[in-house]
Amino acid sequence: MPDAQRQTVSTSPRRRFLMRGESAIASAGLTVMALMVCVMIGSVWWAQRTQRTAVREARERQVNAAAQLLAQSSELLLAEGELTAVRRMVADAARDNHFEICRIVLPDGQILASAQPSESKLRDLPPEWDAHSAPQNNLLASQNQWPLLIPGRGPAVLSISGGDTYVAGPNDLAAGVLAIGSVALFALLVLYRRMRFSMRGLGAVREALSALAGGESQPEALLISADLGPEVQAWNGLIRETERIRRADLAEKAREAVGRRQENKGELEAACDAISQGIILIDDQCRVRYANGAATVFLSSKREALVGGDISKFLQVPDVLADVRAIASGSSRRRSTHDVERREEGSESGPVAGVLRFSVRPVRREDVGSAMITIEDITQQRVAEESRNRFVAQATHELRTPLTNIRLYIETAIDEGEENPATRAKCLNIINGETRRLERIVGEMLSVAEIEAGSFELRYDDVRAESLFEDLKAEFEPQAAEKNISLTFHLPPKFPPMQGDRDKITLAVHNLIANSLKYTPTGGRVDVSVEFSNQQLAIQVKDTGIGISEEEQDKVFDRFYRAKDTRVSKITGTGLGLTLAREVVRLHGGDIHVDSKLDHGSTFTLTIPTQKKAA
Amino acid sequence: MKISEQQQGAVMVLKPEGPLVEGVIEEFKQRVLKTLAASMGRFVVDMSAVPFVDSLALEGMMDVSDELSKGGQVLRLCAANKTVREVLELTDLASHFDHFDDANAAVRSFL
Repeated sequence: MPDAQRQTVSTSPRRRFLMRGESAIASAGLTVMALMVCVMIGSVWWAQRTQRTAVREARERQVNAAAQLLAQSSELLLAEGELTAVRRMVADAARDNHFEICRIVLPDGQILASAQPSESKLRDLPPEWDAHSAPQNNLLASQNQWPLLIPGRGPAVLSISGGDTYVAGPNDLAAGVLAIGSVALFALLVLYRRMRFSMRGLGAVREALSALAGGESQPEALLISADLGPEVQAWNGLIRETERIRRADLAEKAREAVGRRQENKGELEAACDAISQGIILIDDQCRVRYANGAATVFLSSKREALVGGDISKFLQVPDVLADVRAIASGSSRRRSTHDVERREEGSESGPVAGVLRFSVRPVRREDVGSAMITIEDITQQRVAEESRNRFVAQATHELRTPLTNIRLYIETAIDEGEENPATRAKCLNIINGETRRLERIVGEMLSVAEIEAGSFELRYDDVRAESLFEDLKAEFEPQAAEKNISLTFHLPPKFPPMQGDRDKITLAVHNLIANSLKYTPTGGRVDVSVEFSNQQLAIQVKDTGIGISEEEQDKVFDRFYRAKDTRVSKITGTGLGLTLAREVVRLHGGDIHVDSKLDHGSTFTLTIPTQKKAA
Repeated sequence: MKISEQQQGAVMVLKPEGPLVEGVIEEFKQRVLKTLAASMGRFVVDMSAVPFVDSLALEGMMDVSDELSKGGQVLRLCAANKTVREVLELTDLASHFDHFDDANAAVRSFL
């Protein structure tokens, strides 16, 4: 098979099969990517959280250290009354450590020193203040406070808050991570597409391997579309090579088998064994000197047993044996031929299994007598001959009836025609009818000959079905009336357009109706129904005739077959009508079948497409 | 394996249905050999319902052909599809069988 053709064979179902694998790869890839995006988002969140915690803790440590230093220094300086130095130190500490609020507050709420100089209203350091004065809550709320105790003066509070040192904010971090992630994702996407392209081929190969493991052995089903990559091309090459080796191996085995069968055989023996007629050589003692292969088959014996044995042990045909003995003994040189019916194994009176023709010939030898028997299977010839004889007898009978009628009515017309024009007209009418009958019989015979030769064909044209049935009606109604049979046509009000071979369709329907009328006794009924549905013409011919036995229903369409019923044998017929009807219908793309019950009538149903099928 | 039989005149037409492969070939062979013995070789194998054959089937068919050739006859096949005919051609076995387009032509060959 050419490669291109294999390719075509392999693509359609296989392609669909492979697409499932490809989508699995795509789904897996997308899942991995979605997972990575989730991991990235999670990482960003976790990093932000960790960083915030670290910054907060570092800031707290920084503020705590600065506050303790400031508190200790302030206590010492304030004890010395160095308010200005304290205020400068507070301002420096607030600036250096980015404090928003950094102030020393007395218990009564007065601000002793502050990072904002305007907040400090006290001009001088009070000599002593009340230790129990409540601090102003509005100033101390939400501030980190460290208590001060200024020796000799009283307690105070150092309040510090705000002014966080700048660190990379969460949004900046997320943006950075997302930017890096996007680049990574893009790179991953590109990588994924490249991997997916190469994975398509691998996936297809994997699917093909699964099919192979599942028992698929047809190379056409294992080949993959070559555009899926180099792996697939390599796979296809492997499959083709395997197939080539398999076929070569097959051929080699076959050649070996043939060789084994042909060896050890002499040319002459091989030639004799190639003859389909049996050949047996008999010596003067009626012993078998030689038997070819066909003879062993016809005599149902092995060659080893046959050769050297007495022929009478293997051949139980008295007439043949008598001739063989006569020739072998030299008392006769007369050639003879005997057709012998061979019955089934072990049966004396069973059905005939075949007919063998035994020809006995003397073999010219000077010293002793010798005979040769040739055996030929003529069963099929005999069957064909019987069939032919039956057909000739039927055909002769069929032809003789109209010919006799024609001759009789011509004589009547000649004798009485001049004096009686009405009689002449009647005679001519009958002669015309019989001539048409003859024409039909001869036509059927010719058609059968065409079927045999394979040249039976249709001539398609538009068919006016209503006209076809009107003609049949006109033809058969007088016959039915003559036989007192009720013939009814159930025709549709309108016939759709139809294509076919009008003459041959007419012939088929004609044969069905003619058969029904022929095999329906007087007083019976024949109904012809016509229906159109699904672009098919269905014709049903139903009668109340003698019917057909179940075992014969399959055979009535065989050529020359006539039912075994004695009532049938009394009615003339060639046994060709139904054969032709079925052949015509099948050539049109339809079929015909019979439903019948013995003694209750038959129904033949014929279906033909109304339009010619496209070739 | 389903093998239908149809008598046409004096000739038996055997019609195996399905692929002739390992597992069914022995049954097919025995059936054909039985028919061969009963009909003295007047039979035809209708291959129209056989999609493909394997090497064992070819061996089996050669066995039948061998048995027939003992009587100077040849295995008559008919209506084999393209795949089967191609296998027979590739294995150089086509010449060991007679092939006909249809059963009727094969049956007529016995005349």
